[in-house]
Amino acid sequence: MPVKRIFDVLRLALRDYSHEWEMSGCFVLALAAVLAPMMVLFGLKVGVVGSMVEGLVEEPRNREVRAVGSGHFGPDWFQAMRERPDVAFVVPRTRSLAATIQLKSRTARRILPVELIPSGEGDPLLSRGSRIPTQPTEIVLSDSAARRLKVKAGDKVDGSLARRFQGRNERVHVELTVIAVARPAAFSREGAFAAPALVVAAEDFRDGRAATEFGWEGQASPEGPRTFPGFRLYARSIYDVAALRDSLTAEGMDVRTQAGDIDRVQSMERNLTAVFWTIAVIGLLGFSFSLGASLWANVDRKRRELSVLRLVGFRTGDIVWFPVLQALFTALLGWGVASLVYLGVEQSINRMLASQLQQGQSVCLLLPEHFMVAVVFTVGSAVVAAGLGGFRAARIEPSDGLREI
Amino acid sequence: MEQEHSTASPVLIYHLRGVVKTREAKGSAFRLVVPSLQIALGEKIALIGQSGCGKSTLLDILALILRPTESAAFRFRPEPGASPLDISKYWKGKKLNWLGDLRKQRMGYVMQTGGLLPYLSVRENMTLSRRLLGMRDDGTVDSLAKALGIHRHMERLPGLLSVGERQRVAIARALAHRPSIVIADEPTAPLDPISAKKIMAIFMELVEQMNITVIVASHDWKHIQRLGLRRLAHHTHQKQDGAITETTVTG
Repeated sequence: MPVKRIFDVLRLALRDYSHEWEMSGCFVLALAAVLAPMMVLFGLKVGVVGSMVEGLVEEPRNREVRAVGSGHFGPDWFQAMRERPDVAFVVPRTRSLAATIQLKSRTARRILPVELIPSGEGDPLLSRGSRIPTQPTEIVLSDSAARRLKVKAGDKVDGSLARRFQGRNERVHVELTVIAVARPAAFSREGAFAAPALVVAAEDFRDGRAATEFGWEGQASPEGPRTFPGFRLYARSIYDVAALRDSLTAEGMDVRTQAGDIDRVQSMERNLTAVFWTIAVIGLLGFSFSLGASLWANVDRKRRELSVLRLVGFRTGDIVWFPVLQALFTALLGWGVASLVYLGVEQSINRMLASQLQQGQSVCLLLPEHFMVAVVFTVGSAVVAAGLGGFRAARIEPSDGLREI
Repeated sequence: MEQEHSTASPVLIYHLRGVVKTREAKGSAFRLVVPSLQIALGEKIALIGQSGCGKSTLLDILALILRPTESAAFRFRPEPGASPLDISKYWKGKKLNWLGDLRKQRMGYVMQTGGLLPYLSVRENMTLSRRLLGMRDDGTVDSLAKALGIHRHMERLPGLLSVGERQRVAIARALAHRPSIVIADEPTAPLDPISAKKIMAIFMELVEQMNITVIVASHDWKHIQRLGLRRLAHHTHQKQDGAITETTVTG
């Protein structure tokens, strides 16, 4: 179909459409009236389920796998865990009694004992973009520890460890730099995220061994690879937790996870999604039928005019384009109106429930791709319905259409 | 016209032989039979008869918008120098687009009422065919409008015009692209007798000036008798207890 003929049909279709603006407006409104509630329904589904899942995924605690009791985990085991695709983060943990340090700041009078938490690149408890302790003298303080010590990122604190070694009480000091303060939800007690080197040195010192990195004296470390009694382990996503738990259990380990909670939320999500889809499918069917019926009826109404066009020499193929183009206008305008209505409703729903939401969360939410899906679906149904109607109009002999009253 | 008749073998625009169209409705059937019909280029033909006698059916067949049930021969010559085209072959081959193109280039059609696109101005309605054919404005449209007395309404929509004015626009549209033939189905039927007479006279004058063959259906011979049209003979009779109405047209 050459460009000129397309242009001829497009021009006439547009002229007819705007000439009958009242009728066209009715079609557009009818379409928007069905589409807008569907979009709100979908927005609610995406928003409610989305923020529920997001909460679940965002909360690293839900991804943690904890060992119950202590074991012997060597470098090979940690290497193997690191290589698993379902593991996001794993770091060795020393004996919990040895993983403490006493901190003293210049601004607070009290000496504060804090837990040492081995950390490293990709620690899920430390938010993305936050600094990670990589040097042995760097720490990230938990929010409560920072408040008790009255320090902020960049401050220096004095860390000290005590032991009873060869009948004498010993104490060593190390100057630590607070490179960041973790968000309150990361760790509720007083704690310090530290590079594994510091945590290991603290355990060595307490065990009477030397920590050469810090110049602490003691007995030489035993030969052979070091084993750890525990670990901090996080699955890549909440969906990997159950499988990871099962595989560790199969290794003979006793582990604790949030898998039960995750299952509950996931099954709720599934049920909610099923309910939404049931409503959505019924709604979409109704939408397609109402759109199809109105466009089909419109083609019937215009049979005589279409016949006149054939009489002046428009081809059958061109005639089909006529209602299809008009349906396209209706679909695009209707979608536009529905989108505007939806955006208004979205704003009011989210504002209404703003007090019960966390920052950045919304009850009603559609992403740009959802709008695209809506327009593609609308245009698709409209074009199919009008195309079928137009084809029927084009198939009748032009003389039949002309003589209709 | 007298001259054309006097030539030994006039150049025919239409040549039909054994063309039949059967239409069936509940309990009754209608049959149009054309044993033989020859129309010469430039002729002015009148098809006279009461409504329901099959005039429109014949016109639609001649306008290539109605497919004959049977046809032994159906030839149409698009222009004087061209050789005749076998229309029945195109119907059989379902070449509807091809017939559409032929209609677009060679034919004008005036309907009994309306047939104008309500969303286009009078001028746009008149230039519709020219525009589709990519013809440039050469003043034909304006002189037609002047001749038909509708030049004051060129930029209006047809809905604002009287019935008589609309029929004038329809006539102008049928002539605007200088077709070989114009077919008019009772073009003046909705008008009062005085306007009807006047418009028909202008119409016939225009086709003569533009050397266009014309076929006009009408139920009133008196009106157009004096305009020099050749009347096609036809008779209608009922067969088989009125179940079939058959009209035979020859000419």
